[in-house]
Amino acid sequence: MIRQGPILSRSFWSATLPFLLLLTLVLLALLPSRLTGIDPLSQHARLVLAPPLTSGHPLGCDFLGRDLWSRLVSGSLVSLTAGLGVGLLSTLIGGIWGILSGFLGRPWDPVMMRTLEIWYALPEILIATLLMLFLGHGLLAVVVALSIGGWMGVARVLRAETLRLREAMFMDSARATGVSPLRLVLRHFLPNVMPVVAVMVLFRIPGGILGESTLSFLGLGLAPPQASWGVLVNEGWKALPVSAFMLVWPAAFIVLSLVSFQLLADRLGRRFGVGR
Amino acid sequence: MRRILGRLLSSVILLWAVFTLTFLLTRFAPGNPFAQGRHMPPEVMANLMKVYHLDQPLWVQYLLTLRQTLEGDLGVSYKAAGIPVSEILLQTLPVSLTLGAAALLVSVLMGLLGGLLIGIGSPILSRTLRWTTTLLVGLPSFLLAAVLIDLLALRGGLLPVALWEGWRSAVLPVIALSVAPAGYLARVFAASMEETLDSPFYRTAVAKGLDPLRRIVFHLVLPSLNAVLSLLGPLAAAFLTGSFVVETVFAIPGMGRVFVLSVMNRDYPLIMGTTLVYTVFLTVAVLLGDFLSEAVDPRVRAV
Repeated sequence: MIRQGPILSRSFWSATLPFLLLLTLVLLALLPSRLTGIDPLSQHARLVLAPPLTSGHPLGCDFLGRDLWSRLVSGSLVSLTAGLGVGLLSTLIGGIWGILSGFLGRPWDPVMMRTLEIWYALPEILIATLLMLFLGHGLLAVVVALSIGGWMGVARVLRAETLRLREAMFMDSARATGVSPLRLVLRHFLPNVMPVVAVMVLFRIPGGILGESTLSFLGLGLAPPQASWGVLVNEGWKALPVSAFMLVWPAAFIVLSLVSFQLLADRLGRRFGVGR
Repeated sequence: MRRILGRLLSSVILLWAVFTLTFLLTRFAPGNPFAQGRHMPPEVMANLMKVYHLDQPLWVQYLLTLRQTLEGDLGVSYKAAGIPVSEILLQTLPVSLTLGAAALLVSVLMGLLGGLLIGIGSPILSRTLRWTTTLLVGLPSFLLAAVLIDLLALRGGLLPVALWEGWRSAVLPVIALSVAPAGYLARVFAASMEETLDSPFYRTAVAKGLDPLRRIVFHLVLPSLNAVLSLLGPLAAAFLTGSFVVETVFAIPGMGRVFVLSVMNRDYPLIMGTTLVYTVFLTVAVLLGDFLSEAVDPRVRAV
């Protein structure tokens, strides 16, 4: 049979391509900066705002003559770490809250859910900005602030999932065979919520990347000379009247990674029946 | 009625919780609000601390601030010495509200139009829009703002680069603020319409041969609208926080910029004032959104 339809299927655009893009980004970020050949912090007056394809500097240089390619690579590691960190930490906080709330039932469940709703009324960036006041600058501070700002959605989803699984047939069977509560949770419950937990981590990663770049762009996140996509966009924006390249590269990285993570998360979410 | 009272009560609790948390955060934050970039004799510092009651025990400060706030007095800014916080807020809040309201209007209109076209447009148009909206969700507002400034203001010279003078200067910030939420709204609206297309009452409308316009308006669009309305509250939050960024980029003298600057300057009363005003607006927005969706969709009331 001759294959009908486009050569590159829908799933190529919505899953394979984003996955490959992200894999490339991660590999790039993990490249030791030695492989880029240049110290991301070394400055050269001669190379200030050098255009792309200047010999030895494929993407050009910034307003201090620092190599943009190596800054972008070292910034990728920071931004992706921030995204992953927020994904993991906010899922941990939200997961514990949601699963506890689902398992404990009355009288704790309504109290925990009311508290959650109250917290939910505040936007992530507002909470994170306030927390940055207390936590100071740095990657860890950003991750903690954004996670405390945005675990509520995760808690809601995992509570619903817990309520569903609690009544599931296999849980009843396990209870009927007289399994201890600890074993019930560890061996029967947890393995079954793991897919949902994984989806939630993936859902939160783009939020983390966006949050980090927003805070850093505002000057509340990472402090220069440490590079992240947000810091680079901030510098690029300031240099915009003289050179667009400083903005274009980090911007492209941010958009590509956000869209890719979003597509993958959507797909995985549909696969496991988890909505937003 | 009981629901409304419950909502009001939880709003009051929220305000109190936000007040307390903000108070604790500011007081336990490292650094001194008066020791930024200048050197001053210890006597002057001690005097300043005394004037602003910062030398008192924590619980005295807490009760003092709480009483003051309950009386409607938000105190005086540390940085812009002597200027009451309420005066700063009165000057900047209308700017942010105008910007936010315009962005809300634009994004809802664009979102509804986009969602409608995805839902009932031709397959090619529908697919193109679907992809565009996916890309828009991944486009941070600061990035869009920077690109808009460069292309339309700096190079094109069509619109002002920054500041807040007349409607022309509002165009770029409103676009920067509303594009991403519009994309999100369009996706939500389209998904909701897809669900409605499957519903028994829509199939009935098709089966009894209702004319397409009435069918689409009354049996498809209106029942699907609720998904969008219930997002209006969170959306208002998105515009408030989005305005931190957009106001900073465009140097608009609004409350978002004041908030960011107050955090940078450790201006405790100003941080408290902006945070509380934000919280009030967010709760009001969420309440209004809920009432709207109740008014439009009788199914919500029944729950």
